[in-house]
Amino acid sequence: MSASLASVFALGTGYLLVLFLCALAVERGWISLRITRHPAVYTLALGVYASAWAIYGSLELAASAGYGYLAYYLGVAGAFLLAPVLLVPIQRMTRTYQLASLSDLFAFRFRSRWVGTLITVISLLAVLPLLALQVQTLGDAIFLMTGGAASPALLALAFCALIALLTMLFGARHSRLHARHDTLLAVIAFGSVVKLGAMLTLGAIALFGVFDGPASLQTWLDGPGQAYQASVVQPDPAHWRTLLLLFFAAALLMPHIFHITFAETLSRHTLLQASWSLPLFLLLMALPVPLILWAGQYLGSDETIGAAYLAFGLSDAFWVQGLAFIAGLAATSGTMVIIALALSGMILNHVLLVAHPPDAQHNLYRWLRWLRRALIAAVILGGWLFYRTVGVHHDLTPLGLSAFVGMAQCLPGLMALLYWPGANRKGMVAGLSVGTLIWLVGMWLPLLTGMAPLIVIPPGLEGLAGEPDWYVVTLVSLSANILVFILVSLATRTSDGERAAAEACSVDAVIRPKRLPLVATTGADFKHHLAPVLGDEVAEREVERALADLGLSPLDGRPYALRRLRDRIQANLSGLMGPSVAQDIVDRQLPYRRGGQEPTDDIQFVENRLEAYRSRLTGLARELDGLRRYHRRILTRLPVGLCAFGVDDELLMWNDALAELSGIDGGSVIGARRDGLPAPWGELLGRMLAEQHDHLYKQPVALEGGTRYLTLHRAELKADDDIRGGTVILIEDHSEMKWLEDELVHAARLASIGQLAAGVAHEIGNPITGISSLAQNLRYDTDDPQVLETAAQIQQLTDRVSRIVGSLVGFAHGGRHVGGTRFAPVSLAAVTDEALHLIQLARSGEDVEYHNLCPPELEAVGDAQRLQQVMINLLSNARDASHPGGLIVIDAAPDGDMLRVTVTDEGHGLDPHVREHLFEPFTTTKPPGEGTGLGLPLVYSIIAEHHGRIEFDSPPPGHECGTRISLWLPTARQDGEDTDEPNSDR
Amino acid sequence: MYVYRIMLFLVFGGYLLSPLLMSGWSSPGVAWYRPFVIWGVLIALTLWLEQKRKLDER
Repeated sequence: MSASLASVFALGTGYLLVLFLCALAVERGWISLRITRHPAVYTLALGVYASAWAIYGSLELAASAGYGYLAYYLGVAGAFLLAPVLLVPIQRMTRTYQLASLSDLFAFRFRSRWVGTLITVISLLAVLPLLALQVQTLGDAIFLMTGGAASPALLALAFCALIALLTMLFGARHSRLHARHDTLLAVIAFGSVVKLGAMLTLGAIALFGVFDGPASLQTWLDGPGQAYQASVVQPDPAHWRTLLLLFFAAALLMPHIFHITFAETLSRHTLLQASWSLPLFLLLMALPVPLILWAGQYLGSDETIGAAYLAFGLSDAFWVQGLAFIAGLAATSGTMVIIALALSGMILNHVLLVAHPPDAQHNLYRWLRWLRRALIAAVILGGWLFYRTVGVHHDLTPLGLSAFVGMAQCLPGLMALLYWPGANRKGMVAGLSVGTLIWLVGMWLPLLTGMAPLIVIPPGLEGLAGEPDWYVVTLVSLSANILVFILVSLATRTSDGERAAAEACSVDAVIRPKRLPLVATTGADFKHHLAPVLGDEVAEREVERALADLGLSPLDGRPYALRRLRDRIQANLSGLMGPSVAQDIVDRQLPYRRGGQEPTDDIQFVENRLEAYRSRLTGLARELDGLRRYHRRILTRLPVGLCAFGVDDELLMWNDALAELSGIDGGSVIGARRDGLPAPWGELLGRMLAEQHDHLYKQPVALEGGTRYLTLHRAELKADDDIRGGTVILIEDHSEMKWLEDELVHAARLASIGQLAAGVAHEIGNPITGISSLAQNLRYDTDDPQVLETAAQIQQLTDRVSRIVGSLVGFAHGGRHVGGTRFAPVSLAAVTDEALHLIQLARSGEDVEYHNLCPPELEAVGDAQRLQQVMINLLSNARDASHPGGLIVIDAAPDGDMLRVTVTDEGHGLDPHVREHLFEPFTTTKPPGEGTGLGLPLVYSIIAEHHGRIEFDSPPPGHECGTRISLWLPTARQDGEDTDEPNSDR
Repeated sequence: MYVYRIMLFLVFGGYLLSPLLMSGWSSPGVAWYRPFVIWGVLIALTLWLEQKRKLDER
């Protein structure tokens, strides 16, 4: 068994080079994202737990404790079996608050930067033996392969340097620790595939190469193998359970496992899938261990190379030994990469940045990145130094156990964090300090200095004397830790900040943040506040990022939106610099406004959280949440507008009916203050809130579709101990009712006008008849053609006045013409000519040009006088609407059994608001005094009498402006029409 | 949620009873692969519970 130094170096370097290539392939996108983001990659990356201990340490443990070695795998498998109740809540917290490490989590929960520092120091002390264990297996493997010809420490250092380089290049690309590193995950997953493949191959060699298959192995185990089994000391039940507990704790607390499980931003589904896929991976990793051990014992190689490295004794072939070496290197490199990455982040955030908070660095991101790279190198070098000074003097088991017992001291804190809101900082620090002290003097310092373990067995536990040191230290340290933690927590006061954080962390509690206004007034304002600390560029990028995360506008000034923005910025900065520094920065630069009213719960936020976590509610909580949703739905779907304000005038509810009425989506205004609501709602609701009475009736409100009449009702919600105060306002749209009332009034007015018109007609009739008679007489008194012409026109005009008055009376009496209808064939060309002649007498509109294109032969059946009235009214309107020099065209054409007459002008067209009411009485666009609003209703009435119809186009098809009025008149007599004499006037 | 309860029961029950399993595995005449078979069954059970949970959440 003596490979050359060069071949071992080439083998190791070759493997690490493949890792580099793998990283490069992912980085450059040569491997599809579908593969790199597959849940299986995550499971394999979690396989980082199977460190060098799983490859070599397990063999050592299996040789002495038989199946006791399985505790290492079953402990972590148990933790992942409990993923839904244990890992998912932690993942939720770490994702929500961007917590990337155990130190972040503890510092966040116990609201102290020093707690984070304490956890970091303990993690560093605990992990150093584990790092040394990794390097030591590397050194031992090199020593074994080269037959002791090479200096394993230096070669191990070279490999460590390459691993550090890989970590710095591909693991510290982001300044943020809490970000998904696809490249790194893929590299670790690749390493897991290699070590699994290597272990399974070695197991197969043992089973089929050394033995002749399972039957042969069983025969050996039942025969000569018994002698080896007899030397195995099975761990007693208490030891076994303690081992299980330690490895269970390791799955939650070890920095590298915590990093992969929680810091890499993976979905809940992926984590839950790992609850069975990771145990499956570990099963496959554990399966070859006893096979290799028994094959080694069968071959008798135990004595020469040590139980941990029996895989090297399976064969003298270089490839078999190379496989054992690569299995170890794959496990070692993966573990060291993630430990270095996790620890560098913890040291940076909880030691360096706490000691020297960042100031407005020109490029904060770059500064943090390089600091992390330096720390990665330092951590890996620290591991190598620990191996050189301490590790070489010990077996793998004491090194590994020391690390696991040390990290287990954080287990009581973690459990309390999830399940005991009453736990406080003082209790946690006291318990952790006591437990850590016992571990330090009982295991860590003896490991470092070789001194005898200092273990004080408390009274009542004398039975522990004679038990293994690791067992006694674990039991005593954890018991003391828990006891002190509970007692101090119960005896001391918990700060408000801690209580709030405890609620945020607790599995069952719902966060109830307070509704406090911020000093900053908009998202854009946040940048100015953060710039003095983060620098202009970083402040801008962080605010933009938080706004993009929340989908908010920089100009959104709603207090609710600003509070969410503040929380998001704090979470994002936490991912960058740790929760302690992030909280300091945010508290200092984005403070709340003090004074004013007592802050109340942010129920909007609570509701959103409840909605998001609904699937996790169970039992009574789920039932209550169902009721809450039902009641909320009632309010939301209420067919009457409803809004609610808190005592601080912040809008809490804006239901669907109100959103439809106002055209404002609830999501854009909920959380705004009353005076920040868009017009006219801010003023209207403010008036309602200030009103002495609880009702406001039929308030005219100018909305997009026109004026609406709204009735508002208010109810005060009195604040109680358990019930939040506020105001609820119901808004009813009474516009239809108001319009009906107006129409009723209008109809009454029309009736009055009808009565008045009848009286006026009677009064006007006599003088008009007089004028007409005088004009008639004038015709007989002179032969002057000019005077005769004038007299004739006077007669025509008096006739017209009589008919207008008659029409008015007719309209007032339901549209029936007082003089009766006299239908006869009427030439539309002649009627139009006469109408034109009459309206041209008026002085206005002299410069408008008229084109009568009606063919003279076209005739409609109707009353010539009334149709002339129609044409006069239509032409007058067209003339009034036309610009100087404008053209008015009158045309007629047969349309089936009707005659279609059109009057087209090039005027300003119809006002859109008037169109719907065009044929209603008193609708006019003319200035006051110039139009009665009766012309078109009269036209409509006359055309209806003629069984015709009327339509308008404004602008007409093919024109950019103007109006076209189209009349359809029958060309044959309709049933039921009067059969008077043909029109004598024609 | 009853799925979680089953898991809690399995894990803590397994934790307390695991020493009995240990002594069973080490008895002479027991097939060497028995612990792995039991472990495999546990994984299959977890997989089944996980599928059930997914269906429940739909």
